This record gives sequence, C-alpha cells and structure tokens, in this order.
Amino acid sequence: MLNDKRDLHAVFNRRALLLGGAGAGAFGLVGARMLYLQAEDLATETYTDGAIENRFDQRIVTPPRGVIYDRFGVALAVTSPDYRVVLVPEQVGRANLEATVRKIGEILGLEEVSIERRLRDARQAKPSEDVIIRQALRWDQFSAINVRLPELPGVRAESRQIRRYPFDIAFAHPLGYVQKPAQRDVDAATKAGDDRRAVYYRNPDVRVGKSGMEVALEPELHGEAGWRMVEVNAAGRVINEVGGETKQPIPGGDVVLTLDAESQRIAMERMRGESASCVVMDIYTGDLIVMASSPGFDPNEFINGISFDRFKALNEDPYKPLFHKAVTGLYKPGSTFKIATGLAAIDAGMADNYTVNCPGYVWFGGRRFHCWKRGGHGPVGFHTAMKQSCNCFFFNAALLAGQQKVADTARLLGFQKRYDVGLPMDTVGAGIIPDEAWWKSMRKEPMPAGMTLNTGIGQGDVLTSPLQLALMTARVANGGMDVVPRLVRDSRDAKAPPKLNRLAISDAALKKVMDGIYGVCNEPGGTAMGAAGNLDLMVDPTGTEVREAANAPPGWKPVQLGGKTGTAQVRVITVGERAAGVKRNEDLPWGMRDHALFVCHGPVHKPRYACAVVVEHGGGGSRVAAPIARDVMRQVLLRDPSNKPGATRESLKAQTTEASLARAPA
Amino acid sequence: MSMSYAAGARPRSFLEKIGKLNWSIITLMSALAMIGVIMHFSVADGSWFGRPLEHGVRYAAVVVCMTLLATVDPRVWLALAYPLYAVSLLLLVAVELFGEVRMGAQRWLELGPLTLQPSEFMKIAIIMAVARYYHGLEPRLAGTLLWSIPPILLFAAPAGLLAAQPDLGAAILISSTAVALMFLAGLRWRFIIPAGIAAAAAGVFAYFFLLHEFQRNRIEVFLNPNSDPLGTGYHVSQSKIAIGSAGLFGKGYLQGSQSQGDFVPEKHTDFIFTMIVEEFGLIGGFVVLSLYMVLLALTMTVAMRARTLFGRLLAGGVAVNLGVYVLINTAMVMGLVPVVGEPLPLISHGGSAMLTVGACYAMVLSIDLHRESASTRGLLW
Repeated sequence: MLNDKRDLHAVFNRRALLLGGAGAGAFGLVGARMLYLQAEDLATETYTDGAIENRFDQRIVTPPRGVIYDRFGVALAVTSPDYRVVLVPEQVGRANLEATVRKIGEILGLEEVSIERRLRDARQAKPSEDVIIRQALRWDQFSAINVRLPELPGVRAESRQIRRYPFDIAFAHPLGYVQKPAQRDVDAATKAGDDRRAVYYRNPDVRVGKSGMEVALEPELHGEAGWRMVEVNAAGRVINEVGGETKQPIPGGDVVLTLDAESQRIAMERMRGESASCVVMDIYTGDLIVMASSPGFDPNEFINGISFDRFKALNEDPYKPLFHKAVTGLYKPGSTFKIATGLAAIDAGMADNYTVNCPGYVWFGGRRFHCWKRGGHGPVGFHTAMKQSCNCFFFNAALLAGQQKVADTARLLGFQKRYDVGLPMDTVGAGIIPDEAWWKSMRKEPMPAGMTLNTGIGQGDVLTSPLQLALMTARVANGGMDVVPRLVRDSRDAKAPPKLNRLAISDAALKKVMDGIYGVCNEPGGTAMGAAGNLDLMVDPTGTEVREAANAPPGWKPVQLGGKTGTAQVRVITVGERAAGVKRNEDLPWGMRDHALFVCHGPVHKPRYACAVVVEHGGGGSRVAAPIARDVMRQVLLRDPSNKPGATRESLKAQTTEASLARAPA
Repeated sequence: MSMSYAAGARPRSFLEKIGKLNWSIITLMSALAMIGVIMHFSVADGSWFGRPLEHGVRYAAVVVCMTLLATVDPRVWLALAYPLYAVSLLLLVAVELFGEVRMGAQRWLELGPLTLQPSEFMKIAIIMAVARYYHGLEPRLAGTLLWSIPPILLFAAPAGLLAAQPDLGAAILISSTAVALMFLAGLRWRFIIPAGIAAAAAGVFAYFFLLHEFQRNRIEVFLNPNSDPLGTGYHVSQSKIAIGSAGLFGKGYLQGSQSQGDFVPEKHTDFIFTMIVEEFGLIGGFVVLSLYMVLLALTMTVAMRARTLFGRLLAGGVAVNLGVYVLINTAMVMGLVPVVGEPLPLISHGGSAMLTVGACYAMVLSIDLHRESASTRGLLW
C-alpha cells in the first residue's frame, strides 16, 4: 500500500478534509444567500410585495364611455346597459357543459344553430374564462334566466355597459364606431412599452374608437379604467373574490357636437338612394350643422364584431357606404369653382364692363375649350356669365387673372388644406389646387397654358372636398372672413373658435360674386332658378322670423338662397363624341356619369348658413344636387339652429341630475 | 480462488451484517425522504394520492433494496466497475442515436415499457470507474500527468455526449465528480492549478461556441435576471420571491402563497426547496441543509475509514456527487447559479434519481460494512 514517497491514504484524508471544508463553505454560502434574500426583503419588501402582487389579480372595470350629443343635447352615441348570460366552463364542469348550454338555449328560445355554436365556443375556451352565451338580451329573457340561475351552477346573468348609436346610419360617418382593440393595437401598446395598456386591451369588455370621432377623440371619450382585486392562482383562476381594494373607473368625458340631429337626419333622408354628401355650416362660427354622407351604415353592427360577409358587402358596395364622402371624398368642383375664378379675376383688375363673346368654345393653344352650351351664350358680362355658368367667360377670366392668382384666391377660400374638426386627420382630404409650383413638383416640365382654362372652370387637376366647398361658400357669404369649420362645440379639449380675420379679397369682388350667385337662384336664366328659386318660406319684414309660406301673414317676404351649380366631368369627351353630339348622362353607365354639385348660402337677407352638396354620378348640378341642397337648407333655415340656445356639457349634466332627481321616489 | 481477510475479520451471517449496517446514514436518508413525502403532500394540495404516496412507496422499495445490496461484498462493485461504465456509455450513445426528445433535450431511451435515462447510470458508473482506475494504479503513478489522462477520458466521453443531448447539468455533475475523485486520488497540485485555468478558458469557449441558445439564455438571464422576468428568468424570480417573503418560520405548511398559487414552477422537482423555505421559513431551510451536511459528513467518514483505495474513492465520490447535487439545486433556486435543472436528492419527485441515490448508498453502506477487509483482490480473479 505504501509507496516510497507518498502515503495516498494520508493524501486522501487531507484532501477529503479540504474538500469537506470547501463543501461546508459552499453550504454556508447557500445559507447566507437564504438569509440575504430575507434581509433584502425586510429592507425593501421586494419579495413580500412580489408575493402579494402575484396572489392578487387586478380585474379591470371598464369605464363608461363619454356620451356624444348634438348641439341641442340629443344623444348620438350613448353607453347603455347590455344584459347577457355568461358561463365559466370550469365551474359548470365538462360533463354538464352540453346540458347547461342546452338549458340556457331553451330558456332564451335560441335556435339550434346558435346553441351548437355556443357549445363549441364553451368547449374551446380556456376553462377559467367567461364564455358569452348570449348578449343583447331582452328584459323578459334576462329575468327568465335570472329566475332559473339556481339550477345552473357556473352560469351568470349580468349587465355591462355597451356603446349604442340610437340614430343608426345618420351619424355613422362623423361619429364612427368602437370595436374590440385589434391585435395591432395590443402590439402597438407593447412596442411603446405600455404593458398596462396592452393588458387592458386584451380584456374582452374593452372597446376603443375605430373610426370617425370615436377614434379621434378616444383619449377624451374613453375615461380611465378602474379595478378590483381578486385572489387568484397562477392559472388566473379566481380563488377568492375578496372585497378588498377597488378603484372606481373614471367615466369618459362627454362631447357636444355642432351638428343638429334633426337637420342631419333630414339630409340623410333626402340623399337616400344616392351616393352623395351634404355639408351645412354656420358661416360665422364654422359650426358644422350637417355633415352627412350617403349611403350610411349602421355602426351598431360593428360593436361586437361585424361578420366577414357583412363587412365585405359594405366594403365592396359601389356606392361606398363606409366612405366618409363629406370630408374624405375629393371631387372636381366644376362650375362651383367659378366663384373662386371670378373673385381672382375681379381682384386682378377685370373691368366692370368686361364682356366676352361666347360662341360655344374658345380656341387656345391650338385646342378648342368648350362651353357647356353648344351654341354659345353670345356676348356675356360677369353677372350673366355667373348666372348662366358660361365657360367661355371664365376661360377668359382665368387667363386674365393668371393661374397663380386663381390658385392663391382658391387657397384663401380654404382649398388644399386639411381641417382638424375632431376627425382622424388621415381621413380628411386636402385636395389639389394646381399652380406652377405644384405642376413642377409633379412633372418635370412647365405647366401648359391651357391648364389655366381648365382650372378656371374647376376641371383639370382641381380636387376639392364637400367640406371645402361649403367653407368656400361660407367665406364668401360672411364677407371674406377666414372662418374654419368645427364639429366639436364643447368638450374637455375643445378650444374656443379663433377670432375671425379678413381675407385679402376685396369687398367689391365679394359683392359682385354674391350678386352673381343670387342671380343663379333667383333671376330668370339662372341655372338653379327652377331647383332652388323657391324655398316656400317667408320672413317677417324685420328679417328675424322665418315661417313656412302657408303660415306666413301677408307682407312677409320670400326667403331666398344664393348658390352656384356645378357639373364635374368624370370622363374624357373625345373630339369624335363631341362631333357626334355629347352623350346624355342618362345614356351612360352610372360610374361614367358626371358628378352633380351645388353650393349655396342663405338666407340672402341675412346670410348665416353655407351648404355644399355633391351627388356622385348624379348628372347635372342644377337638376340633382340643387334640389337636395334646397330641401336641406329649407329645413335648416326653418330650424335656424345657430340662433337657438345650444347645450353645453354643464347644462347637460344639470339636466341629467334634474331628470334623475325627478325620477327618484319621494 | 481464495478469499483473504485481514486479521480479526471473519465471515458474518446475513442478519449480523444487517445489524452492523451504518444505520445513521439510513436514518438520515429516510428523514430526507420523509420531508419529501410531506412536501409532496403540500404540492398535491393536501392529498396523499399521487406523488406523496408514490414518493413514500418508492423510497421504501429503494431502502429495502439498498439494505439488501449493502450486504454484498465490495469486491463485486469493483468487478462491476468497468463493465457498468461500458454499458452506460453505450446507452448514452444509443440515446444520442435513438433517444426521444422531450422538452428540448434528448435524454430518454424507450426500451419497451421501460423509459431509461442513461445519464443516471453514468452518474454511478463514473464514480465506480474512476475509483476502479486509481485502485489498480501503482501509487507512485497516481499523481502524474500522464496517468491522469485515462480518467480524464473516462469522464470526458460521457460528459461530451451529455452536453450534446443537451443535458448540461448532468455533464457538469459527472465532470466535477470525476475531477474531485482525481483530486482525492492524489493528483499533484502543480497540475491542478494550470488545469483549473485551462478549464476556465474552455468554459468561456464553450459558452460562446458550443452551448445551445436556451442554455446561453439561462446563463444570460442568470447574470441579469430582471432582463426577462416573465421568460427564462421567471422561474428564478418567482422562486426568489417565495424564499424572500418566507420569514423565519415561513408562511406555514400548505400556506405558501407562491407555491400553492402555482407561481413557483416545477415545485415537485427542481424547485421543491423553494416550497420548503416558503412554508417552513429559514428554520426549515437550515434544517434541510443541515441534514444533508450531516449525511455528507457521515459519507466522508465512511470514505476515510475504508481500507481500500476503491472504497475510499467510491464513498468519497458519492459524497461529492450528493454534495454537488444539493448545492447546485439550492443555489439555483436562490439565483446563485444558472438554472440547470437538477433535482434535490431524496426530496424531489422522480424515480431515476431516487434509484441512483439508492444504488450509490448501497455501495457506501457495503464499503462501510466491509471496512475491515484489507483487500479486494481475489474475488473474481
């Protein structure tokens, strides 16, 4: 056993003790770590807090969303209770699942198909998660299920707050709708490092704005979520519904709009069956009284998720019901743009007696530019040209002013600009007013001089939105003030309308244009004389009270509009077609027909409202658009919303309190 | 073939042998296994069925086999050392070729109804093989570099295979046990120090070039656990919360909010120590650690009392093995070392590990029982 130099047993014993010592040291380290973790906890409570945080789970309590009112306090978007039945598969038990769902179906009178579907949902859901068997229960269904609950363990009947749009289609575009946050929203929140928001967005009861004001005013409307603490295990199953800490949600802020629900409803009704939009604006405050796009859609369909087929049908409808035409739609303004061309020409020094002979066309740069009237208007001055919408006159007027002056005037009137009215800015169209700089930015060549002629009559590259057309009319009718549109009358973040400034347009020019558009509606030969000449309304001699003509005492004067028609070509008319005779709109397929436009202001005796109507592929402006504008303006003038006291959040709150006090039992 | 015994030694009857067994070791092991049963009862939400009962029955079977095997002459272990090593190595190769991949690692070998985890066999075989090697080596050669190459190959081959599975925990365990045995066998200090430096360099190399993504993640998360509190670091963060919030006496049996709420993962295996501390506090943790230390001290005593180098190294190897297990596991659940997924011997649930410990201690007890015999020569050859 022993070798000459080393006793291996002695070496082993020495080294075993050494190893034992090292081992003991290591055990000491582990023990010290255990002590250290405790001490660290005593000092900072890190681990105790961690344990409490784990054991209790915050259950989110969604805040009631702010109500959206019209200018008189009519609720356009409300949060109302929704009654529903839910079950927790784990509490029902796998074996009883089918029997339970069938029993609920029997009590509620559900169809076999939906029973099967709910059963499938319940089987696929996480065992600890609520499965909604039926929502939007009627009161009798809700009470029926409540009575039978004792025999249905694991089933709950509950009410929760849900968004409702009582006017269905009428306000779909400006209001938009809410939906469950999309995965994209969750991802965005996660990416922004906002984990709380990401978690919140996954809650099945949370709804966020998805379009229209609902998304633009989301921060204001949403409110702040509350919570209550429940004791859970790691799988998230509630072990104990402790009545512990809770935080009440903070309701979302209410919003009062400038819209008048009744006028909006009438406009939607009047545009039924057309692909059209209508904007009515207060020319001094910029308040949008009507902002309607037709056809509408029912935003209520979207709240709990719209079916794929239904969405596809809406999305592929050629009349584009999902499209907010009043602000997103961009159209060639056609002859309505002659208002801008006229102002530009007068301010560029056009003589008072400036006259153009219209043979039906103008030769310019080797091309013929046509007037809409084949035989021509003969010699016309400004007033007649405006009244009869003579293209030849305005070709010359545009040349006289020059492209740049026309474009500058158009921008003064509000074109080529996005207005933040409380809608998502990416849905607000800016449009195009072509000038030399714009042309160069688009193409690498100088602008052909013929462009000026096309621009002068609102064709060519000019693009404008119905909102901008109404704004142009408002700025002319209010005496050249730079009013801007607004949709929100009162809200947490609403700003007071800015002080109005005078635009760089001469009074003389404005007067001449106003006279011209008066003629359009009220003088023989005016293009809208027939359609918008008779409002069937009378005003008292002092010009304050408007009544329907039938109820007006003798001595009252008729109420009048001033306006301008427009017909925007959407197709190219070839030389050949022109020679053979331009096809009538009725002979063309719908998508090839001209857009019909009409802008107007009223009442002439004391201008207050401006209106723009665009009917897509409607044909002639005087024939299709002007009658709609006439009917809508008739109602607006009769209601005169701008001269009636409107609602504010304060006044509405007071009303609600009063109403609830009145309901309370004595 | 003659049996030779040292002076004074004589053949004893079976019952006599049972009576002379090192009952302190068996008692300590049983105490630890009982703690296991108690903890599994808590894991099972206060039910005896399933794991608690299984653990108890399994230990009972192991302890009976262990006491029976302890009466076997150590010369049998000596004779079996190399063959067992060869078989274990073959099984590791087989697992590499045909093994089933579970949870990202290839560790199990299906043989009909049997599921084998060859790494467990290797944990025993490596101790036996290295002990056998030094036992047969001329003492003057034991400390030299040249004659240290065979034991290095002995552990490097299985460690390499295990690292490839990848079962880093087992690879580290086998390597460290073998290295400790070489140290105990008398490797000269002048080789130990440079070797340590070389090993550190190799470790750095392995980290960057050989480790799997999930292994590297574990190490990175270990170095900065808050970087990923809900991912790889989740286990350790939750475990630290449980231990840190326990206090001196713990939250009470069946009362650990972290463990009972399932926040602590794998609490019947890797993280059972967490549950012990959470429910029984610092006191409970220290009691368990102390029990292990006493068991290790007793095992080392067996080693130092043994006459044969094989016996000394075998018992010493078992002690090192057990100590490394316990240290890795407890340090891991407290965030001192990366999560490598090694269970707490005798307490964690798991048949293979229990069998391994039983087999190791059968040999330790056998060596202790036969410590009077001076030589192991002459049993089989």
